[in-house]
Formats: sequence, structure tokens, C-alpha cells
Amino acid sequence: MKEKIKLFLESDLLEKYLIGSTTSEETLQVERYIAMYPEVRETYIELQENLETYAKLHALQTPAGLKNRILGMIRKERPVKKHFLTYAIAASFIAFLFAGTAFFFYNQNQNLVEKNVIVSNKIKGMEEDMRKQLEDIRNQFIVLHNPQTKKYPVNGNKKAKELKAVAYVNPVKKLSYINVKNLPHLPEEQCFQMWAEVNGKMVNLGVIKDFSDKDHLLALPYADNAVGYITIEPKGGNHKPTVKNIVANISY
Amino acid sequence: MSILLEKHIVELLQERNEKAISLLYEHYGNTLYGVANKVVRNEELAQDVLQESFVKIWKNSDSYDSSKAKLFTWLFRITRNTAIDKLRSANTKSDREIQMDISNVYTIGVESTVPEFLDVRENLEKIEPKYQIVLDALFFQGMTQQEASDELDIPLGTIKSRLKIGLRELRKIYGPFVLSLLFEVLLN
Repeated sequence: MKEKIKLFLESDLLEKYLIGSTTSEETLQVERYIAMYPEVRETYIELQENLETYAKLHALQTPAGLKNRILGMIRKERPVKKHFLTYAIAASFIAFLFAGTAFFFYNQNQNLVEKNVIVSNKIKGMEEDMRKQLEDIRNQFIVLHNPQTKKYPVNGNKKAKELKAVAYVNPVKKLSYINVKNLPHLPEEQCFQMWAEVNGKMVNLGVIKDFSDKDHLLALPYADNAVGYITIEPKGGNHKPTVKNIVANISY
Repeated sequence: MSILLEKHIVELLQERNEKAISLLYEHYGNTLYGVANKVVRNEELAQDVLQESFVKIWKNSDSYDSSKAKLFTWLFRITRNTAIDKLRSANTKSDREIQMDISNVYTIGVESTVPEFLDVRENLEKIEPKYQIVLDALFFQGMTQQEASDELDIPLGTIKSRLKIGLRELRKIYGPFVLSLLFEVLLN
């Protein structure tokens, strides 16, 4: 153990530590030796005293005014905290501004996302509509121009003598259309509704609303030996045809 | 410096009381200025060093640990390291080369003719230059004894014995120094 301490004291590490030129690793080692060995501790204390004495021998009169310059610099160091506070306030203000802006943009982004969904749904709907309409028009073209299409004139019965319609049926393409040319005038609380009996089932084809367009073709569900009906129903339409109010039937 | 006064200054430092710097300057200013000048060998640079050192002392007052070093040792470390940094940044010759200028040993103290420094000069003159060189190497230049032996071209054994004698001479001066410090404390 003594040998170890002797070696340490001879290594000059303590002297290097004294004047502050040890590495952080060496510092730890020296501090451990000082704490553990009284001989090292005593040598260190003695060295500190020697250093102070030797340094004092080299004392030099400081120039006048240097003290005040130093105190002035130290006072300048003080506002660091004030500066810190100013910076802190500025930083929090910027942070709030940033948070506010971020929130604004987030909201705007959310709105835009919603709008985008609405618009794309609209576009989808329109595409679907256009596709349907295009197919309808294509089918109408086929029905009207195909030589195999049969044309059936439809007349109203006693209840609606003025009713005039034309049904177009193409058994090859399995397409059928009806063109309502004229409907008798009805009281306000009543309307005409179209139906089709397909394979024994009654299908609601809806209220005939707009027959001002005399050339409008209404698609009928196709089936062999299907029957179409036009009935008078209460305003807004009915979910079952009123049999006694049948004004025309179209066999196609 | 009395232990009491040292304690008082440390307390003021930790309370961040400006008076601590004032007291430190009064009691250590000249010595630390001398230390700075010993390293940078230029009074103007030494003033800058002292200024920067005091700012560091003020800023790092929390880092002083009285269980690890005497107050002066801590002040010395800061001043010496600041001086070495200054010297490097001043881009002059390497600090070691400058400090090894032996003629300095004979001229030291000439700058100050103030009576209170006459004692100091007389005391320094009591230590023969050959011992001073070794003490300088140890305290100011941070050389190991082996390095001093290489630099000064003196055998290691001679370095060791000169250091021993130098320190003994120093202790002889140290006695009256303590007395003068006692007076200083009493007057304060």
C-alpha cells in the first residue's frame, strides 16, 4: 500500500491536479487518492499552501480602474436573468403564435378534407348518373333503331280517354321503353303512376311527373309476357297499384 | 487569508452578492494579476486575463467546492487556465517557450515599486533562481518533474532535490506571511 502511495506521489499527478491541468479521468483518480490516503491529503494541503505563497511572491500591482471595469462587467452579467425572462416571454409568445397557427391550419386542413370528400362523392354520383344516362340513351337508341323492335300504341280506357302512349319492346335485346305522349288532366290531389308486372311481381316504376317532354322515353323492366299499367293514385304515389283505377295496360 | 474571511467570501459568492467579487479583488487581485502576467508575459494581456477570470469566477461560483480545494487554489486554476487560453488565442509563441524565458526570474517584481510589494520582491529574492525555475515549472507551467528535467536539461535527481529545497525555502517565508495575514484580518 505504501509503495502505491509513494508511486502516486512521485507521478506528479497531484501537482498537475493542484494547478488544474489534469484530465477528467486523472481528476477522479487524484480525488480518490486524496479521500482515501491521509498522506496524500496532507501533501495536497501543503502543496496548496506552497502554491499560494509562491503565487503571492509574484503579486503585481493591478492598474487603477481595473477593479471598476471588472465590477462593471459583472453587473452586465447580471441582466442575464432579465434577458432570460425577455427571451422566455418572446419564446412563449412565439410558441403560442405557432400553436395558434398550427391549430388554424389544422382546422383548415380538416375542412378541406371534408370538402374534398364531399366533392369526390359528388363527382362519383355524377359519374354514376352520367354512366346510367349514357347507357339509357344507348339503350333508347338501340330500341328505336333496331328493326326487331316492336311498337305498341297504348290508349287509355274509359277513365282516361285522352291518354296516349307508345311502348317499344325489343325481345332480342331484352329492352322495353314507353313514351307517354299525352295524359288527361287530373285534380291536384291525384297523379298517374306506372307499374310493371314482371314474372308475377308488381314493380313500382314511379309517378309520371313530367310529361311535358313528349319525346321522353321511360325504361320498363324487361320480362317475357310482362304487363305494364298506368293507374291513378293519390298525390305523391302509392306503394301498391289501385286496381280499380287502372287507366291503361301495356302488354309487352 | 483567514478561514473566516474565506468562508464569508464563499457565502457571498454563493448568494450571488457582488461584494464577493470586490473582496476577492482586494485580497487576491494582485496575486492573480501576477499569476496571469507570469503566464502571458504581457501586462495588457494579463489585465484582459484577470478581467475574464473574474467574470468566470462570478459565473461559476456555484461550482466551487470547499471540500476539494482552498479558495485560492480554485481562483488560481481559473486564472491560469484563462491565461493559457488567452496565450493560445493570442497566437504568440507557445506558452511553454515563453515561460521558459529564464531572464524573467531576475526581472520579476521590477514592474512594481509600490512599498507593499518590496516585501514580496525581497522574499522572492530569498529563493535562489535555480530553485525558482523548478518551482515555476511546477506551479505555473504545469510540468511534470520529468518534463522539467527534459526542458531544462537538468537531471531528474537534481530537479527533485531543487524542488525539495525550493519548497523548504518557501515554507521559511510562509511563516512571516501568516503573521502578516493575521494582522490583515485583525485590521479588517
